[in-house]
Amino acid sequence: MEGIIAIWQRDLLKFFRDKARLFGSFTMPILFLLIFGGGMSGSMETMMAGSMPEGAGEFNYVEFVFPGIVAMTLLMTSIFSAMSVIEDKDFGYMKEIMVSPISRVSIAVGKMLGSATIATIQGIMLFLLIPLLGLSYDIMALIQVIPFMFLLGCALSSLGLLFSSLINSTQGFQLTVQILVMPMIFLSGALFPVSNMPAWMDFIVKINPVTYGVDVMKKVMVDIENMSSTVMDAMGLNLTLFGRQLTIFEEVIFIVIFAFILVFLATVSFKRANA
Amino acid sequence: MESIISVHNLTKSYKNVEAVKGINFEVEEGEIFGFLGPNGAGKSTTINMICTMLKPTSGNIVINGYDVSKDKDAVRGSIGIIFQENTLDEKLTAHENLMLHCRFYNVPKDKREERIQEVLEIVDLVEEKSQRVETFSGGMKRRLEIARGLLHYPKVLFLDEPTVGLDPQTRAHLWEYILRLKEKEGITMFLTTHYLDEAEISDRVAIMDQGDIIAIDSPTALKDQLGGDIIELSTEDNEQALKEIHEKVKEAEVTVDEDTIHLKVASSDAFISSFIKTLNIPITRLNIRKPTLNDVFLAFTGRKIGETVKE
Repeated sequence: MEGIIAIWQRDLLKFFRDKARLFGSFTMPILFLLIFGGGMSGSMETMMAGSMPEGAGEFNYVEFVFPGIVAMTLLMTSIFSAMSVIEDKDFGYMKEIMVSPISRVSIAVGKMLGSATIATIQGIMLFLLIPLLGLSYDIMALIQVIPFMFLLGCALSSLGLLFSSLINSTQGFQLTVQILVMPMIFLSGALFPVSNMPAWMDFIVKINPVTYGVDVMKKVMVDIENMSSTVMDAMGLNLTLFGRQLTIFEEVIFIVIFAFILVFLATVSFKRANA
Repeated sequence: MESIISVHNLTKSYKNVEAVKGINFEVEEGEIFGFLGPNGAGKSTTINMICTMLKPTSGNIVINGYDVSKDKDAVRGSIGIIFQENTLDEKLTAHENLMLHCRFYNVPKDKREERIQEVLEIVDLVEEKSQRVETFSGGMKRRLEIARGLLHYPKVLFLDEPTVGLDPQTRAHLWEYILRLKEKEGITMFLTTHYLDEAEISDRVAIMDQGDIIAIDSPTALKDQLGGDIIELSTEDNEQALKEIHEKVKEAEVTVDEDTIHLKVASSDAFISSFIKTLNIPITRLNIRKPTLNDVFLAFTGRKIGETVKE
């Protein structure tokens, strides 16, 4: 336990010391918010309005895309923070960790918690943009969504961790992860609804943990009680699996299982690396 | 004395190569054990197996009473390792690096500050403890690593090429610290080094070559085994001198190294006065010395220690 906390604290400490990383990682989501929020909202809203019966309510694209951008930030930060494992290998520090009596599970879990915490902090920092985007969320909803963000962060960090334990160069990692991250964002319903996809794409959507993360976040953040079912459909808030609408609880279970399997695999990979 | 490390029939094979071919040795508690060998001899492979970082193909290793293959965590807790390369976190301060180590090794909470202070004093880094490691010189980093390796009071401290890449003055300093440590704490030290003069401080040395241990004894005993004295000389015409030596001098073993002729004799006192008279070529340089570990190494492996190093 002590080992987990030590590894977690070290990653956090290094994150706060690295000012360039702290602010640099902020630019990408802002760029996306500008492009998707500002640039695309007009056309997306006209498109959606065309398919909606009159009086069904308003579809606000920025409201739709904001949780998605937060999830995207979680995805990017989680996976790229897991790259610290490769940096530690490069700079030799991984050896110091590996020869110590900390269990390999603790190393994996400590690293996962570190990345997930950093990702959640970055996500929360995006909340500062809410007033600038002309959005208003219930403050309680924002607080409630944080644990879910952290959970999604854990799942995604464990994915990044598995890759970084298998790959030995930062370049290789960046390349591999890029290929992985893009479809995970686009096929998650973060930026546009994924309700009517071809079957093979729908399959990817359904095994993608980001899909469930985004859906949970939207359900918690957006005021769904006062929303007509048409608008909910337009927002993509009707995620179904095997023809049945999913509850938040089921989605959380899926994310937890995903995280457990990947942490397990990462642990095995750490063990193998130093038999 | 008790054995703190015992290695039995240890082997490690990769696909086609047998890197370690069934070696046996014991390291006694409290001694400095030097582990020497040319590059590619299987030294690093052996150390990695002893330190739980590599799984042996066969054989067994017991450290401090714990079996390395069965009781990894207990072994890891009993040893401290100073790696060849820097393994400090340079973005953190000296104190933070040490504190992390305490936590990794479960040093009791109330003892941590005390021990950090203690090890910093041993390596003279008390003043610098709040500075980031990236601002440290190479020698300071090494000292901090040694301090870190001591924090959990290991029974055995592994020093893998501890002075590599340091200037001679820093190297000398570092050995002072290491010797001070042995005197104060009585820790067993397992040492590898390329500088054979540094290995002289060992109580015993093992020489490894091509996966086997070919000699193991105290430096003095190994040198005595070679016997006699070594005379190094240069003359105005080495070729002519060699001819004369081969004709007239029968009791000496003769080898040539670049522009120096080496003569190995049982005792130089009797030999030298008559020798100088017999040689007609003027001598430009003459040096008489006792054999060093370098000579031992040369005699056992047929090469100098640096010879296989790629540089």
